[in-house]
Amino acid sequence: MTKVVIIDNDEEIRARVVSHTGAEHRRLANKVMEEGLKQAGLSFDEISYVIATGYGRINVPFADRQITELTCHARGVVNFLPSVRLAIDIGGQDAKGLKINDGKLIDFAMSDKCAAGTGRFLEVLAAALGLKVEDLGNISLKSANKVPISSTCTVFAQQEVISRLSEGVPLEDIVAGLHDAIASRVAGMVKRLKIEPDVVFTGGVAKNIGVVKALEKNLGCEVFVPEEPLLSGALGAALLGKEITLKTLAEGEPIPRGERRLEEATFFK
Amino acid sequence: MTTEVKKRAINRLQTMYALRALVDEMYQSSLEAKKEGKPVAWCMLDGGYGGPFLNAMDVESVYPENYGTICAASGAAAPFLERSAAEGFPDHLCGYARNCLGYTATMTELGEIPPDAPTGGMPRPMLLLSSGMVCDARFKWFQALGRYLNAPVWTLEVPRPGMRESLMEGAYERNVDFIVKELRVFVTFLEGLLGEKMDWDKFEQDVNTTIEMDRVWFEVNELRKARPGPMHSRDFWSSMSASALRTTNPKRVTDLYRKMYDEVKDRVDNKIAGINREEKYRLTFVGLPPWHSLGFFDQLAERGWNFVIEQAYHPPGPIDLTWVKDPIEKLVRYRYQGLDHQIDDIFEPEEAAKVREEIIECGYSHQVAVRDAMDYQCDGAILHTLLTCRGTTAPLLLAQNRLMEVWKVPSLVIEGDIVDQTLFDPVDALRKAEAFEETMDHYKKVRKEAGLGW
Amino acid sequence: MVEVTSKGLTRVREIYQDRPHRAKELRAEDKKVIGYLCLYPVVEMMTAVDLVPYRMFGDMREPITRADTYMPTVVCPFLRSLLDLGLKGKYEFLDGVVMAHTCDVGAQVPGLWNTFVETHYSHFIDTPHTIHEAAQKQEKGELQDFQKSLESLTGKELTRERLREAIEAHNQQRALVRELYDLRKPDPPLISGTETLQVVVAVMSLPVEEGSKLLKEVIDEVKERRNGPPKKSARLLVWGPVIHETPLIEMIESLDANMVMDDTCVGSRAYFADIKLTDDPLDGLAYHYLVELKCPRTFREGVYGETSKEHMTDLKSRFNYLGDYAKEWRVNGVILQALRYCDSHGYEVPVVKDYLANIGLPSIYLEHDYTEGALAPLRTRVQGFLEVIS
Repeated sequence: MTKVVIIDNDEEIRARVVSHTGAEHRRLANKVMEEGLKQAGLSFDEISYVIATGYGRINVPFADRQITELTCHARGVVNFLPSVRLAIDIGGQDAKGLKINDGKLIDFAMSDKCAAGTGRFLEVLAAALGLKVEDLGNISLKSANKVPISSTCTVFAQQEVISRLSEGVPLEDIVAGLHDAIASRVAGMVKRLKIEPDVVFTGGVAKNIGVVKALEKNLGCEVFVPEEPLLSGALGAALLGKEITLKTLAEGEPIPRGERRLEEATFFK
Repeated sequence: MTTEVKKRAINRLQTMYALRALVDEMYQSSLEAKKEGKPVAWCMLDGGYGGPFLNAMDVESVYPENYGTICAASGAAAPFLERSAAEGFPDHLCGYARNCLGYTATMTELGEIPPDAPTGGMPRPMLLLSSGMVCDARFKWFQALGRYLNAPVWTLEVPRPGMRESLMEGAYERNVDFIVKELRVFVTFLEGLLGEKMDWDKFEQDVNTTIEMDRVWFEVNELRKARPGPMHSRDFWSSMSASALRTTNPKRVTDLYRKMYDEVKDRVDNKIAGINREEKYRLTFVGLPPWHSLGFFDQLAERGWNFVIEQAYHPPGPIDLTWVKDPIEKLVRYRYQGLDHQIDDIFEPEEAAKVREEIIECGYSHQVAVRDAMDYQCDGAILHTLLTCRGTTAPLLLAQNRLMEVWKVPSLVIEGDIVDQTLFDPVDALRKAEAFEETMDHYKKVRKEAGLGW
Repeated sequence: MVEVTSKGLTRVREIYQDRPHRAKELRAEDKKVIGYLCLYPVVEMMTAVDLVPYRMFGDMREPITRADTYMPTVVCPFLRSLLDLGLKGKYEFLDGVVMAHTCDVGAQVPGLWNTFVETHYSHFIDTPHTIHEAAQKQEKGELQDFQKSLESLTGKELTRERLREAIEAHNQQRALVRELYDLRKPDPPLISGTETLQVVVAVMSLPVEEGSKLLKEVIDEVKERRNGPPKKSARLLVWGPVIHETPLIEMIESLDANMVMDDTCVGSRAYFADIKLTDDPLDGLAYHYLVELKCPRTFREGVYGETSKEHMTDLKSRFNYLGDYAKEWRVNGVILQALRYCDSHGYEVPVVKDYLANIGLPSIYLEHDYTEGALAPLRTRVQGFLEVIS
């Protein structure tokens, strides 16, 4: 997925785009940018500064700078909830824990080697159960007896889930069990960072109310989810871009632009 | 109408139960000792070097390695493992270590033994006695406990030379001298730590009694060469802790082992097997047992699999020590017998000379390893590779190679972990076991043709 | 004799790309080349009987295909790779191997090497675990046996004279490496971490005099150069077990960081303490190799036989050399790297972090598995770390 956020000097969001680019993100980043510009009613040259972040950040030829999604997400969640101390982001292919103090990122934990603590886990398992990912949350709310899923591996969890189904275990209990599995895995990852309120949860998986509840249970505290949980990274990047731009202008320096061309990335540099 | 109750597949020895209970007693006594303000140490499997010193100075002990198996079997390990990860310890480290690190971190944070800890938990120690036996990771683990405990760590040194190097002139005596010297300093250390002098009479007595205890235990295990195998590995594992770990009362345990000897001898005389099924296959187990899933062996016993011998935790064989006056030296010469002696023990002089030549020439000899396969007439070996134990897992494939090369005995690898039960898949393992029976049948023929005895 | 035409860093790169080349040339001249694993085999003793010590490594780019028959996958990938290369005959050019009790899996390799890899000579030094007095004496005993073994191999007597000369030659090399490391103190450093690693790897592939000559060339060249590393915000120290290939360091240095110092065995651990010349040179050697080598495989306590213990005091006594390095090289961040399945370093990570936190130095732990593919996710972590400490 590729997201674009454009903000103005007053930190108003002028454009927000979330687009499925899949394996083509390199080739299509500029297309998503163009959609954002259209939304904002701006031309590319009117953009003062572009920051690229996330997995494909090195493949955005029109970016002025790349900053890790760790720093960008932290900035984004601080914007949402300035009192945040711990931010958890569960995306399609990774999960992150961010420790924040006084609005600044001070430590982090990442899990990106294995599908089990990520959105992928739920995608695969939803498919195995013949369900849509977006329905999982509501289904799990009906559960009174979540069924523990012991497999730590996505592949084995599939087998386990099919077995449970054939045993007659209610669907909602299985789904609740899956939510608990992903939540406990991610909670385990972030315990190293010391769990302190306020806790913010972002990423595509944060839209799943079942996982939100399971995460709250596993962490032992309330968890806040922004209205647009998919945009905290891009928003944070835009805010950082604004900071950098204003700082350099204040110092009387020219804005350090990259060699920008709003076109497809042709090959990996 | 009555339904015939099928007998349990494994024929447990009656005399095993009293020995098995000793492990629980160990936790009880250490908790009591702690309450009374007496010294308690955390120890690890150390080849028997540490026990007599602690006995002579009235130090109780518990074994975090053993505690790891208890937590695994009772399902209590998960929060400790999670805590260990939260403390920053990589998850590939030894399961026992991580369980202990998590336990200790929790205990330190709470200021008391964690409320749900099985068997009442392990009391806070005033000494961490670690060892260089078997694996180095263990003394790093005890060292890392310094984050949560200010108990000093003493590492018992044990040399582990290569085969060729251990046959070099003077090497054995130098190694004995090294261990002895280290143990003498250990005594000075203990005296300083406990504020007491070593009672040398008590120590000497304990050394002698422990050696005698191990001699009886050794004889029990020699009986297991009989056909059918009279004592299943499960009984060995249940009864070994006094010898493999420690007992504060070796005299009492010697009696218990004697009773076991009588029971096993009776079985041998009456051709009673360690399983309640026909002994179709005789197996040896290599590696650390899956403590959390020992019921698996019952399922194999149903198929006529009798585990007649296992490769770890055995005491050394008896050796003439009448000429040794100093008790520390006696202890060391008993525990560290050396390759030279082992070769003379196993082989006739002519064969021994050939084996020595081979070792000096090639640096190794397959002949010296896994002889149990022959002595106990094994049809197959189960190799248990463990995700978090490199000490016991790394040598397994070499053992597989040797078993086949020398004895034409096939091996089956079953994966697992010492603490993480989810990694051990009994369903999958049983499936493999079925296929392995065909392999074992095949090699029975191969051995016959090769003129090997069984 | 082949005329060596390239010098300094160019020669370093040539050797780094094709390490066995010089060793093979020397063998053609009837010199014997002995491979050694890790830092515990005593190179001075090998030099003293005219053997060329050659440090053995694995190969990150070579897929492991043969080692799996003899070694389970849940062990150190570096050692698996090393064994794999041996089984594939890639170390055929060696006249023998010397290994030591470096770690659990390291202690298994010699048995496997003897059994499955053709080798004319091998010896295993059973380095003790502690630095106790009796252990130092035991280490000396082990070296005495090693001496006998070398004399038997070469038919030469390892006299005290020859040993002293060899120690002096290797100490001189150590001093040269330290001189090179001094050139990393300025900001920006005059030589990058990547280049330094290549230099050390090259030196560990050559006889001692040739390595020292190469070092002198490199030092002279680096002092004069104008195209050294650019100034960056972060000056990092890298700690951990063996890194002998550059991709990890290159990845770090492609970001806003220079690696200005290290605590690894293909680096400072090999060169930062000279061997004391004692009456019986084996005493000085035993002390150096057991007590002074800084690898976590050795059990060190703050005070020998201490009956009371305090965590931070213990850590300071074990790690204060890191604080010294950080001061002298003006380090502002530490990368703790370790291979997956490395136990010796794995247990050490949280306590080293404790020590570094105590002296106010930020650190991050990176675990990798000896493949280049594993480095991509690490890039985000390192960059994130740099953003945090900036």
